Amino acid sequence: MAERALPRLTRLLGIVTYLEDHGATPFADLAQHFGVSVVQIRKDLGTLWVSGLPGHMPDHLIDFDAWAYDDDIAHLTNSQGVTQIRLSPREAVALVGALSTMVAAGGAPRAATTALAKLRAVLGGDPIRVVADGSPSPEVAESIADAAARGRVVEIDYVDAMDHRTRRAIEPHRIVTVDGVAYVECWCRRASDYRSFRLDRMDGVVVTGEPISAPPADAETFALEPRFDARLVVARASRWALDDLPGATLTDRGEYVEAVVPVAHTAWIAGRLLAVAPDLRSVEPPALSDEVARQAAAVLAVHGG
Amino acid sequence: MPRTDPAERLLNLIIALTHARVRMTRSEIRDTVAGYEREDPSAPPEQAARTTAAFERMFERDKDDLRRMGVPLLTVTDSAHGDDIGYRIDVSEAALEAVALTPAEMAVVGLAADFWQDATLGADARQGVAKLAARATGGHSIEVPFAARSASGSAATGVLAEAIAERRAVSFAYASAASGHSIRQVEPWLLVLRGGQQYLIGQDRDRGQARTYRVSRIDGEVAIVGQPHGFDIPRDIDLGALVPTAAENHAIVAVRPDSAHALRRRGEVIGVDGQWDLVKVTYRHPDAMRAQILALAGAARVIEPVELRDAVVSFARAAVEVRGG
Repeated sequence: MAERALPRLTRLLGIVTYLEDHGATPFADLAQHFGVSVVQIRKDLGTLWVSGLPGHMPDHLIDFDAWAYDDDIAHLTNSQGVTQIRLSPREAVALVGALSTMVAAGGAPRAATTALAKLRAVLGGDPIRVVADGSPSPEVAESIADAAARGRVVEIDYVDAMDHRTRRAIEPHRIVTVDGVAYVECWCRRASDYRSFRLDRMDGVVVTGEPISAPPADAETFALEPRFDARLVVARASRWALDDLPGATLTDRGEYVEAVVPVAHTAWIAGRLLAVAPDLRSVEPPALSDEVARQAAAVLAVHGG
Repeated sequence: MPRTDPAERLLNLIIALTHARVRMTRSEIRDTVAGYEREDPSAPPEQAARTTAAFERMFERDKDDLRRMGVPLLTVTDSAHGDDIGYRIDVSEAALEAVALTPAEMAVVGLAADFWQDATLGADARQGVAKLAARATGGHSIEVPFAARSASGSAATGVLAEAIAERRAVSFAYASAASGHSIRQVEPWLLVLRGGQQYLIGQDRDRGQARTYRVSRIDGEVAIVGQPHGFDIPRDIDLGALVPTAAENHAIVAVRPDSAHALRRRGEVIGVDGQWDLVKVTYRHPDAMRAQILALAGAARVIEPVELRDAVVSFARAAVEVRGG
C-alpha cells in the first residue's frame, strides 16, 4: 500500500524547510535526518521539482540546481514560499502531554525540560495540563538516569507495593514512565531476575563504579502476569476506584457497576477494594473476598473495633 | 490520466492557496490545481455531474486533511458574488515557528510517538515529531535510555483538543458517577492528564457550571456542535479535585516495626508506643489517607484525629461483611 498522504506531505514540506535553513545537503544526509531511504528522498525531490503554482510555468515551480542534483546533492533554488506547517492543536496536545507527563513523573532526561520550554514558547502556553501524583526526589531521579546512561550498578533501598523494605543492587537499563509513574527497568541482583522499580519508592541511592553486566530484558518487566479474573459489583458512586485498576473492564448496570479485573496480586487488589468498602456489593472469587475480609479484620483488631 | 499521488495534490493545493491574491473559488481550484480532474465542457451532462460530485468529495477530504494537519484554511466570501465561497491560506499564520531542537531534545520528543496507546493521537504525535524534525538542528540522532506510555487513551482527546483551540462547543454521552448516562453540551476549556487518566474541564451548558469530566467515561464520539469563537476560556481555571487544594490535616499513626515504610517516608517519627513507632503525617485528602491506612491491613493504627479513626473502623466493618456472589 502506498504511504498515507499526510506523512508524505509533512516530509515534503519538511525537506524544503530543512534545505532553506541548511543550504545544499547530500541526499544521504536528508535520508538520515528524515528517517527514510535515499530512494525515497529521490522520489520526494522528484515530486517537489514538478510542484508549484497553477499553470506550471517553469519559474512557478519549486526548483533545484540540476548540476548539484546529478551529484546527489539537493540545492534548493526556489521554494515557491513552501514551508513546514505549524503544530496542529492535536499534535501539540500529543507532544506536550507526553513530555509533561514524563517530566512531572521525574522520568525524563534534562533535554525533555528544555524541549518543553521551547514548545511552550511557540505554542503560547500549555495545550494540556499535567498534574503529578507524587514524584521521586530530583536526586533519586538524576542518580538513576545517570547510572542508566553510563551503565553503572546502583544500590537502593526499596519499599514495594506490599510495604516490604529491602536493600538491593540493581543494573539499570531504562527509565519508563507508565500512567504518570516513573519506573526503572533493571536486572535485580537480589532477585536474580528482571524487575521494574518505582523511582518514588526508593531512597538511599548509591551509584557504584561497577559496570552492569546483564543485557536489557526483551520484554517490559512491570506487567505481572495476571493469575485470575476478579468479578466485582460496586455502587455507582465508587466507580472511580474500579476505573483506576489496571486492565479493568467496566459495565454500567443502572445504580451499579460490574467490573472484571485481572488480578496479579490478590493482597494488593484487596487493599484497594477496602477504600470503597461501603459500596462493595459483591466480590468474587472467594480467594479475593476472603482476603478483603482478612485485611478488614486485621484493621479492626488493631483499632480495638 | 494517471491518478496523482494525494500528497502531491495537497502540496499543489497549499502552494496555490498561499499565492492566491484574494482567494480561489472551488471552480478555480478544480480547473487549475494539478491533481484535480478538470471540468470537461464537451462531456454529456450525466458524466459531468458524476465528475463534479467526485471532485466535491475529493476536495472535502483534502480540506479535512489540511485542517487536521493544522493548515489555517481561510474561507473568503465575495460580497459581489453572494454565496460564492473562496479559500486562501495565510502563509504567516501557517508556518512552523523557528523551534530549533537539539539532537538530544529531538530524541526525547520522539518518545512521545510511542506514548499514546490510542491510534489517532499516536499518529498526531508522529506527525508532530516529523514537523519538528524539519527545523531541528543537524547532527546525528541519538538514543536515550527512556520511554513513556499511557495505558489510557481515547479518540475523543484529539477532537477535544481541536474544539478547545477553535473555541467550539461539543456534545457527548457521558457516564457520570452521580447521575448516570446523559448527553452533555460542554464549552471545552482545558485537558488535564493525571496518573494516566485524561480529564476535560469545561462549562456544562445545561447545568450552567464548570465541570470536570473523565475522558474515559465519554461514551462514543465527541461531536463538535458550536461555531468557532463561540465562548471565552477563563484565565484561571480551577482544577478542582484534580489538585490537592484542601487544607492540611495532621494525623498521628502508630505503625508496626519494620512496616508502613511509605507512610513513614511521608511523615516523621515522633515517639514510640510499646513496640510500635508513632508517626506524624500531614495530609490533604481524608479519603486518600483513610485508604492508605486500610491498605496497610493492620500494620497501622490511627491515634488521632478521631474522625479518621472512626472512618477507618467503619470501612473495615463494611468490608468484613463483604462476601462473594
